[in-house]
Amino acid sequence: MLINNEFNEQKIQSPWQYIWSIFLQNNFAVFAMWVGIALILISLFADILVLYSPFSQDPQRLLSPPYWMAGGTTDHLFGTDDLGRDTLARLIKGFQFTFGGALLISFAITFIGAVIGSTAALTRGVKASVLHHLLDALLTIPTLLIALILIVLFGPSYQNSLIAVSLSLLPQFIRGIYNTIGSQLNKQYVIALRLDGATNIRLLRSGIYPNILEPIVTLVNRIFTMAILEIATLGFLGFGTQSPDIELGKLIADSIDLSSLSPWLVILPGLVIFIIIMVVNIFTEGLRHAIIQGED
Amino acid sequence: MLNYLFRRLNLLLITALILSIIAFIISLWSDNALPDQDINLFMLYMDYMTNILQGQWGISLINQKSHMLNGLIAFSSTLELCLVALLTSMIIGIPLGIFAGIYRNGILDYTIMSIALIGLALPAFWLAIMLIMLPITFDLGLPIDGNISPIYDIPLITGFQLIDSLLASDLYNLAAFVDRLAHLILPSVVLSFFLTSEIIRLTRHSISLVMKSNYIKAANTKGLTVIQIVFRHVLKNALPPIIPQLRLQLNTIISIAMTVEIVFSAQGSGVWLLTSIKGGDYLALSAAVIIISGFILLSSIVIDILQIVISPTARKMLYADK
Repeated sequence: MLINNEFNEQKIQSPWQYIWSIFLQNNFAVFAMWVGIALILISLFADILVLYSPFSQDPQRLLSPPYWMAGGTTDHLFGTDDLGRDTLARLIKGFQFTFGGALLISFAITFIGAVIGSTAALTRGVKASVLHHLLDALLTIPTLLIALILIVLFGPSYQNSLIAVSLSLLPQFIRGIYNTIGSQLNKQYVIALRLDGATNIRLLRSGIYPNILEPIVTLVNRIFTMAILEIATLGFLGFGTQSPDIELGKLIADSIDLSSLSPWLVILPGLVIFIIIMVVNIFTEGLRHAIIQGED
Repeated sequence: MLNYLFRRLNLLLITALILSIIAFIISLWSDNALPDQDINLFMLYMDYMTNILQGQWGISLINQKSHMLNGLIAFSSTLELCLVALLTSMIIGIPLGIFAGIYRNGILDYTIMSIALIGLALPAFWLAIMLIMLPITFDLGLPIDGNISPIYDIPLITGFQLIDSLLASDLYNLAAFVDRLAHLILPSVVLSFFLTSEIIRLTRHSISLVMKSNYIKAANTKGLTVIQIVFRHVLKNALPPIIPQLRLQLNTIISIAMTVEIVFSAQGSGVWLLTSIKGGDYLALSAAVIIISGFILLSSIVIDILQIVISPTARKMLYADK
């Protein structure tokens, strides 16, 4: 083993490395991160992973319970539904739609919202006020109502439910970004950068954004959580994914009549939603702690 | 102050204009006959607005009543649910949030925040179904559907059935009131899960911001106990900023309340909209935009103004702007 005592160079970590090293000390958060990566992989390769097609029916086994219950078989780990379709396959397929949709929405909202929010915060006058009023109008319409309006205008579909959810979450994100940037604008370092003659883009990139990482992580986490919940809710009410496509909320809605015969069909999709949200929240909580500690 | 009021009024008018245009587009669409080239859209909009302002919102295809009446009754039921849930979750959430904020990063904090996280992570509609399925619901005999048992025929006075049933106490001797309350328990429990976790999160954040400030350190060095500090300094400064944060969540709260009502088939705005749309009665949707969004808009402006009146820090921000 090579021991280097002679040239003990003191490495100065970059802020990112420092935050990352703090993050790695939090076991819960690291575990949540790996589970989250696994979830992303599952949602990407859902079609390869499933043992049965989520639509193929097995007339021999209708409504069989999960394998740990009496009467369950290991052929269908989580049992089957009223048409003999494998619950695990349907859960994974439904998970793909819900989780993937929420990821897509959060990325889109983060990008668009960051652009619009910073523009609104850094500009004064007509542009900012037009943005503000339009957003305020959107902020007053509940998600369910936006979804209903889109359905009446364009018909129910998965895409429309995604658009409805984004339209209701985007104003919240922009509002959050706008407020956080606004709270930084009066600080000394921004004024110093401005006196240096920094353009707005440089001001944002090297000045403001590194300082508002923690609020941004919180906001993105919130957007993702709400996106999952709202996509599932719209699917449950029948305004989202249409048959034969499945989605976690729709899975619950489809089997709600069977809830007394086979409660697992209702319980499991809800648990999947619960697990997704818990994992993402624990991960971002760890990240937030690391960022706060790293900044101190 | 006057300047601020004026700006809020300006905001109200512009937002109301945008909302009315959205409602107008829906009503145009629901007529199914898009106007010919020679019809002026602006004039149509003016006609529509005159009708709306005169209270002629069209007649429902489903029960032949005015859309305005239907919508207001349905929405007041939703609002009642929201208010009951808000009250309970404030009673539970604010103390928990205060504890979590004071003992930040302690075991108590982690426990409370885990509870809040679980409350957030459970989807409301699923929780509602679970509560219906639970055996304890059967044991307690809690009603799981509707607003009130159909045997009670309550005269419509305010639209809020809790108040109406109290006012009709000469008919049923409070039995109707108790029945309505029993019907409200399960939906408000479901809604409270989300609201409580939200209130805990906001309170904790606000409290821990205040606890970092210098005047709390000064109070500590003076030798005040934690309880004295909390009641004298922290609460006064930490609680008012929660209100505008909660205001931004109003549309989410109402959306969840509507979902919960659909699961419990309570006659609120969720069920009203669902049946109207399934019956092809799309004018109800534009009525809903006007009522619900109008309510959220008005209440947020009232909250903004109240905030200025109540909290000196918010007033200070106002003067600093000038």
